[in-house]
Amino acid sequence: MEKKTLWQFGTREVVYSAIGAALYGVFSWATNFLALPAAGNISLRPAVAIPMFFGIAFGPWVGFLSGFVGNMLGDFLSGYGFWWAWDLGNGLMGLIPGLIAGSITSFKDGKSILLAEVFVIIGALIGMLVPSLLEIPLSGIDINTALIGYFLPAGLSNTINGLILVPILMVAYDAVAARSGR
Amino acid sequence: MLVTWRYRERGSFLETFDPRARWFFSFFVLFSIVFFWDIRILLGFFGLVVFQYILSKLTWKETRRAWIFMLFFIVIIVGLNALISGRAGPPSVLQGTHTYWEGSLKVPLINWTIRINLTMEKVFFAITQIVRMLSMAMLFMIIPFTIDPRTYGITFSGMGLPDRVAFTMDLAFRFVPTLARDFVTTLDAQKARGYEVERIEGGIISQLRKLAPLVVPVTMGAIVNGEDITNAMDLRCFGIRKRTWIDALQYRTRDYVMIASGGLIFATSFFVKVVLNYGSFWMPEWFLNLVPI
Repeated sequence: MEKKTLWQFGTREVVYSAIGAALYGVFSWATNFLALPAAGNISLRPAVAIPMFFGIAFGPWVGFLSGFVGNMLGDFLSGYGFWWAWDLGNGLMGLIPGLIAGSITSFKDGKSILLAEVFVIIGALIGMLVPSLLEIPLSGIDINTALIGYFLPAGLSNTINGLILVPILMVAYDAVAARSGR
Repeated sequence: MLVTWRYRERGSFLETFDPRARWFFSFFVLFSIVFFWDIRILLGFFGLVVFQYILSKLTWKETRRAWIFMLFFIVIIVGLNALISGRAGPPSVLQGTHTYWEGSLKVPLINWTIRINLTMEKVFFAITQIVRMLSMAMLFMIIPFTIDPRTYGITFSGMGLPDRVAFTMDLAFRFVPTLARDFVTTLDAQKARGYEVERIEGGIISQLRKLAPLVVPVTMGAIVNGEDITNAMDLRCFGIRKRTWIDALQYRTRDYVMIASGGLIFATSFFVKVVLNYGSFWMPEWFLNLVPI
């Protein structure tokens, strides 16, 4: 049997990337259209925890595609068009936590959760910094506007969402992973 | 409640093109727009994008939400940039001396005073920015409304993406209705148990934690089902050879014309900006004279 590597992209990764992307898209749509409390407060976007968690559980490519394609799906469902720089940023937000996928031994172990939280913070910040900076040449804004208008609100809220929801998903997944024997 | 794609057949001229040709054309135009800050050229691109929008036969009712979202962001960002920050743009904008309005804003609580010096140069730069950002946004806004979601897999495969990535996109589009249905079923089930989604209260952390009864079952259910899908695909030898697709896309003459037009626009833009060094920020003299005395 072929040895698993962090960057492998086989059938399992294809399926989980698609599931992650679809979940991200559906949760984003739900936050936009349902009367969830998050809908009235733009700082709450719980869906961003999905690519982060899928990265941690299934590897960086799954995290990246969940974020990239999922953000695209969410925008398509809401009719917002195609924002490639932000799709890329959301992809990075899933890819970076995915870098620790190989070192997770138990999804409910305190050390693993702590490590995941650190990478969630890095992922959320870098993931939102890249598109914010790309907006400088694209929209002709300066660095202050990019940081205050885009990076700070998006980066901070995504960090908070990830920090709270990713551990909850990890602990829940621990039982599922044990049952499936993966 | 059903989740629905924005696409529906409208019988528009735009829909007769191959989706690959439309993506290529859109990217060519996008990268052409990025070259310029001259509003005369940008208005040309804006005209092209508006023409494309008209061809799409979209109605205000369908796109109202997208317009509000787009205009809100553009106004906020351009406003922030021109008023508060105002350090973007070429030297002619930054060193502008035709002051339109000067003042200061005091931020409550932190007592931070922001000095605002709004010059006519900054105002015209903001107008140029709006035209440019609106052109880029409108260029892609029509995509979800006018390209059939069933064709995304074959489209991106045909554009050179690896099969597995293209298939990921195809699967993701197919999973959306199922997962949305699962989400709504879970929401109803939790409501039946007394979970009041409309009345989640408390701080941000508390609110997010209370969303777990919705997010966790849907996610875990999808993951468990994913194992079966993986097994089924493995049993059918997924990924052993280059896959075929149930739908086939065929370029026609009009598609080649569209791609060539996009390529020509990009090549011309590249030549005008890089070789001729034309297309930087421009402002008419008469605009400066509008400063109230």
